[in-house]
Amino acid sequence: MVSLQLPLSTINNKIFSHFNPKPASCLCRVGNRSRAFPCNKYSIFRGGEGTITTATAEEERLLPDELRPELMPKHVAVIMDGNGRWARQRNLPTSFGHRAGVRALTDLIDLCCKWGIRVLTVFAFSTENWLRPKLEVDILMSLFEMVLKEELKILMRQDVRISVIGDSKKLPKSLQKLKTEVEDTTKNNSGLQLIIAISFSGQYDIVQACKSIVEKTKDGVIQPNDITEAVIEQELETNCTKFPHPDLLIRTSGEQRISNFLLWQLAYTELAFVKSLWPDFGKADFVDALCEFQQRKRRYGGRDS
Amino acid sequence: MLPVHIPHVRLAHLNNGCLHLQVNLRFMDLGDEIQRVLRSVGHNLVKLLRHLLWHLLHLAVSTWYFGLDLAHLLQHYLISSGLLRNYKVLNLSNLRCLAIVVDSEEAQHTSRVVELLSWLSAIGVKHVCLYDMEGVLKESKEIILKKLGDARPPEVADERSLFLERKHMVLEFVSLSDGKEGVAKAASFLCSNYLKGASSGEDQEPVFTEPEMTSALRAIGCGGPDPDLLLVYGSARCHLGFPAWRLRYTEIVHMGSLKSMKYGAMIKSIRKFTMVHQNYGS
Repeated sequence: MVSLQLPLSTINNKIFSHFNPKPASCLCRVGNRSRAFPCNKYSIFRGGEGTITTATAEEERLLPDELRPELMPKHVAVIMDGNGRWARQRNLPTSFGHRAGVRALTDLIDLCCKWGIRVLTVFAFSTENWLRPKLEVDILMSLFEMVLKEELKILMRQDVRISVIGDSKKLPKSLQKLKTEVEDTTKNNSGLQLIIAISFSGQYDIVQACKSIVEKTKDGVIQPNDITEAVIEQELETNCTKFPHPDLLIRTSGEQRISNFLLWQLAYTELAFVKSLWPDFGKADFVDALCEFQQRKRRYGGRDS
Repeated sequence: MLPVHIPHVRLAHLNNGCLHLQVNLRFMDLGDEIQRVLRSVGHNLVKLLRHLLWHLLHLAVSTWYFGLDLAHLLQHYLISSGLLRNYKVLNLSNLRCLAIVVDSEEAQHTSRVVELLSWLSAIGVKHVCLYDMEGVLKESKEIILKKLGDARPPEVADERSLFLERKHMVLEFVSLSDGKEGVAKAASFLCSNYLKGASSGEDQEPVFTEPEMTSALRAIGCGGPDPDLLLVYGSARCHLGFPAWRLRYTEIVHMGSLKSMKYGAMIKSIRKFTMVHQNYGS
């Protein structure tokens, strides 16, 4: 069944405000994939410093018309759910689903680099995922190693800085070593920061922060009565970035829960639950989620003026 | 004599030629003009057709969304009137605790909150955790409990009875101070306990686990069951700082503003929750 989705506020704001209508980008969902109707040949792109430049018809490099550069989120978090279901729908082994998921991730990284998002955090493997069949877990660990090795050169060219958070003691030694190498190699990159959460959970993060604080109380650096939210915040593993709190969380496959991801950090994060399975999550879905983020009225306990 | 007329004839010819030339030129000008007019008309016609097509497309999309809204309204009415059998009886065995997050500004409309809670009580929800950032609902606790009549705060509820057998709905009131601040207090509690043990000669590595953190939160009064379902009433699709420790596997549904809350929408969300299967990451 085909359902038509059109950002009506885009129509109201952009189309009827002037006499010459231009086709807004329409999203037509067929099954799990979205396809965008052709946009204008030429679009105006507002650069990061507030300058406006005209660009050519290379759609990939341009921020889509319906997105406002000044309202782009700084930090996007993603729960990449649905690889297994994607594979089962196609009568393929689960590993094929995970491989397809990697492709979706690399596409998303490209878009984040091009559209000026500063931090992308992805939930690759949770502490609960260790309970999965050993074969699947081993395949996933091998996949992480393979992808980190294969993609490192490309990510260096894109100036991406990689950070890996989670309980690394449980990871295979080779992956632990690779994790350190990758973080060292990319530590001076100043583009997108890609945070990969492996063997991670929100509760684990809070507990390890408390352990770090206890060590400090043992050493007399801090007293138990001086433990505040700010103290805990500094010890969380997301302290590896200047923007630890995601502005937008996207979860694919239609599930509507956080599943023990960044529990502490998501207090004021816009939650976008997308029906597409992760390997099918593409540019159109991402634009949808960003549009929703930009259009919603966001307040952090303040009042409307 | 002819030669005498020749100049006249030639002149006449010349004059006629000029006349023809002028006429031709005039015809050419006219032709150009006509072409210009035709081109302009054609161009305007194309523009008009484009506008028409665009407006038709917009009309089609607007009609589609209008139809969708009507369908939703109709469904909510049918659910509210009890005509849809699937929504009449809900299996709430998996809904041990339902949380409601309300925008603090909307939380001041206590009557709406009471109405929502009475709907939940009527369908058999046994434990509700009410949250707003600023603690407006906490301040209205006595009024809400009095108006509901059959609800009890957790401290006086009969914890011994199975939750499905409880006669009264347990009503918790939480705010931002029970969230991150609560975790900080629990961390402080755990640290103090550890240091006490260390100072009394117990030489041990600090082993903090998630169950210990849960116990510490309970000890300082910030405990409570993890909600199975969280309904967010407000403009922003976020949980506004609900105690994060309790949200691991909670289904989160954004319901829109409290002032436009609908019984049918609430029932639909709860029914959808009852059909969800979770594998908890494994």
